[in-house]
Amino acid sequence: MSETPILWIVTLAAIALTLWRSRRYIVALAQAPGASRFDQPWRRLEGVAVAIGLHRKMLRKPLSGILHALIFISFFVLFTVTIEAFGSRLFPGFSLAPIGGDSWIALLQDLFAVLMLLGLGLAVYQRYVLKPARFSGSSGSDAAIIYVLILLIVSSLLIEAGARIVGGADGSWRPVASLVADLLRAFSVPTHPTERIAYWIHIGAILAFLVYIPGSKHRHMFLAAPNIYFRNLEPVGMAPAVPSERGSPGVTSLAQFDWKQTLDLLSCTECGRCQAVCPAYASGLPLSPKMLITDLRDALTNDAAAPLVGGVIAEETLWACTTCRACMEACPVEIEHLPKIIDMRRHLVDEGHVSPMLQDALSNLTRLGNSMGKPSKMRARWTKELGFPVKDARSEPVDVLWFVGDYASYDPRVQDVTRKVAELFTSAGVDFGILFDAERNSGNDVRRVGEEGLFETLAQSNIDAIRACSFNRIVTTDPHSLNALKNDYRHFGGEFEVLHYTALLAELVAAGRLDIAPAGGALVTYHDPCYLGRYNGGFDAPRDLIRAAGYTLHDMPRCRENSFCCGAGGGRIWQGDDGVKERPSENRIREALGLGVGMFVVACPKDKVMYTAATDALGVAGQLKVVDVAELISLREAPAAEGYDRVDGGAING
Amino acid sequence: MKILVVLRMIPDSAGELELTSDGRGIDREWLDFQLNDFDDHALEEAILLKEAVGATVVAVAIGEGSNRVLQMAVARGADEAVALEAEGDGIIESRAIASSIVALARSKAADLVLCGVQSTEDLFGQLVPYAGTLLGWPHVSGSSRLGIEGSALRVTQERGGGIAATYEIALPAVIGVQTASKAPRYVSGSKLREASKTAIGKAPSEPAGFERSAEIVALRLPGQRGTGENLGDNPENVAERLASILAAKGFAGV
Repeated sequence: MSETPILWIVTLAAIALTLWRSRRYIVALAQAPGASRFDQPWRRLEGVAVAIGLHRKMLRKPLSGILHALIFISFFVLFTVTIEAFGSRLFPGFSLAPIGGDSWIALLQDLFAVLMLLGLGLAVYQRYVLKPARFSGSSGSDAAIIYVLILLIVSSLLIEAGARIVGGADGSWRPVASLVADLLRAFSVPTHPTERIAYWIHIGAILAFLVYIPGSKHRHMFLAAPNIYFRNLEPVGMAPAVPSERGSPGVTSLAQFDWKQTLDLLSCTECGRCQAVCPAYASGLPLSPKMLITDLRDALTNDAAAPLVGGVIAEETLWACTTCRACMEACPVEIEHLPKIIDMRRHLVDEGHVSPMLQDALSNLTRLGNSMGKPSKMRARWTKELGFPVKDARSEPVDVLWFVGDYASYDPRVQDVTRKVAELFTSAGVDFGILFDAERNSGNDVRRVGEEGLFETLAQSNIDAIRACSFNRIVTTDPHSLNALKNDYRHFGGEFEVLHYTALLAELVAAGRLDIAPAGGALVTYHDPCYLGRYNGGFDAPRDLIRAAGYTLHDMPRCRENSFCCGAGGGRIWQGDDGVKERPSENRIREALGLGVGMFVVACPKDKVMYTAATDALGVAGQLKVVDVAELISLREAPAAEGYDRVDGGAING
Repeated sequence: MKILVVLRMIPDSAGELELTSDGRGIDREWLDFQLNDFDDHALEEAILLKEAVGATVVAVAIGEGSNRVLQMAVARGADEAVALEAEGDGIIESRAIASSIVALARSKAADLVLCGVQSTEDLFGQLVPYAGTLLGWPHVSGSSRLGIEGSALRVTQERGGGIAATYEIALPAVIGVQTASKAPRYVSGSKLREASKTAIGKAPSEPAGFERSAEIVALRLPGQRGTGENLGDNPENVAERLASILAAKGFAGV
């Protein structure tokens, strides 16, 4: 029997089998609720080009990035071998020879066969010798199988080409295959059978791989590009609203996730970059963003799967997340972990499944608009110890409306910083006012804890209060408030110009409106708050302020986009430490201690609280001071305020 | 079964309490009000009974902020919400409100009246005996668990030394709840928003069923009597002073 019909039968059978093995996923995608991800095609394509063409995120881990790039490029070059192998037999007479199949294409194939083997060698070295912790929990067999198949495909194509050269073909464009040919001659291997066997091994390995793909992480070969194309283009700080067609706020079954959320699950490559940067995972809590995705994915095809929330994904797993967004920032294929976690939390909250501590915080927020359970009338009490009155933005127009936030208003550990910010604003002549008891918690973390209804109530109350004032810009102390006001409030038509106090202070410094007495250049480090940096791109203003205040900045290894969360976000600050082996804040302080700096500079009230507690717990408060960036700034002539402890020459009082 | 549950609004003690000018009341103008904690447990017990054996729960609230709390009660599972008009805006006196509760219990044909065992304005838990007496129904206070056995109510009451006594009472009855069988549940904002559409009924205040037997002549705020030291309200100074006192008294080494 001729090879053509055999190859047709085998190929069609493999394709049919592949589709059959994909059927559950195809059905899941087809039946999933809609998502609007079809706008801005050029911007989407550009993102795909950068992510795949330049391997931008892949190369953040150089070895992985380079080995993947080698395998990836070689795959495309060697695909010409596959086209020729199938084309020449399926359609007798087909050949790439007219466009250079026997010359330059042959040369490229030969060279990239070697590069492919090099990439493969690096992959094997990484996985079995270096053994990065991020692979823990990933499928080992998926990786092993592809290594064997690549080895088979590449070696068979070289042997086949070598055998052809032995049989008289021109080897001048195939230097590597010529070496193989010499080897075959040396062992006097029979040419024709070898060529045939190598050919069928090549075909067999490719078809086996094709059939294997649907049930493996290698789906990403087909799905990574679409998943990146359909990525979220909304501001990253805007949590997805509850779709109007959904009856209850949360998600109770996989079928309620829209098609993009489902596509995420199928695109995961199990690379574990998310797991490696996750503060919850690092602290020993039962959350790995990677396992979250793979567990959801495996449940897609498991009819006997337990209920989604509390079964497939444990409640403790959902509550462990700080919503720091490091996982999404690290993911090379743009998987969106947080919308899934928030949607599942929404279900838990709607069912009243919350821990007693969280229940207290949420009840306080419902009743009083702050998580501490303090009366609203005490919100502006910090102003009493200022040497000057603060304008009530509700009764007189102001240039800057200062949204102070819960921690900066109520927490005694932060109130000094709040007063310092007020003094700096006053000294620079900023016309500002606050909302006094009309301010409520911004709802940023309320929303991320899954309490959408309470978030709406808080947001509406703040938007009403803000709209009743006359102002030009809003400034917030808390990066969490910044994010809610700037991004989340858009859901209610609240589009305000909102900036962080560090941005306003940097602006004032640049305009020469603050008469700073620079310190002596002491070494400090700076912690990027998640909701200022990763969420809202505020990386430079705090650094500019540190320099302007006369300090030398020494960044930690994990800085800017790769900053490591303090552990307080997403409502974690309202929950206990059960199961935590190392608090993220202490992990972070240890990182800073390695730098030999004297100060740990923060720009978030929660960070002041978290890291002060961490340095106390580690007993290093004497060696590393936790200082807000505002506290670093010493003015030549402080405004007439008494009782404030100034920071002088790098020493902190109190 | 129909359960009437009483929800009293009390001054938020986290606020600053000030006396009225005559010194016989608390100035309520600047105070926030919150649901009496024991009444919160009574509401939870009512909803738990409803879930266990089926019942209709009518929530009655008294005091400033009643509507908000009634919406919360509906969100948690109450079937009907009634705001009881209060006489003036002073202390909610059990003697004065008992007859209004009783009138509602009768008009709603309740089989069981639940309320918190006490409130900050009724520390001696008099609402239950007052209401029970006026209705002529049996009453028990200090329950930590309620259950229905046949047509009777089983009431577990905590005694000293950790001993728990269980009564069996024929309905109708009045119970003063100390703790619900389970901690009061969390009710989500979306359910609260949904419940905010519920119509809230009104009930008039009835004349007190008992003669006034005593008058408050003076209220006094907690004050210093010379034996204590006010450590102030600056946490760092407080911590420092406290540490030195403890060290001086030999409780801790510094």
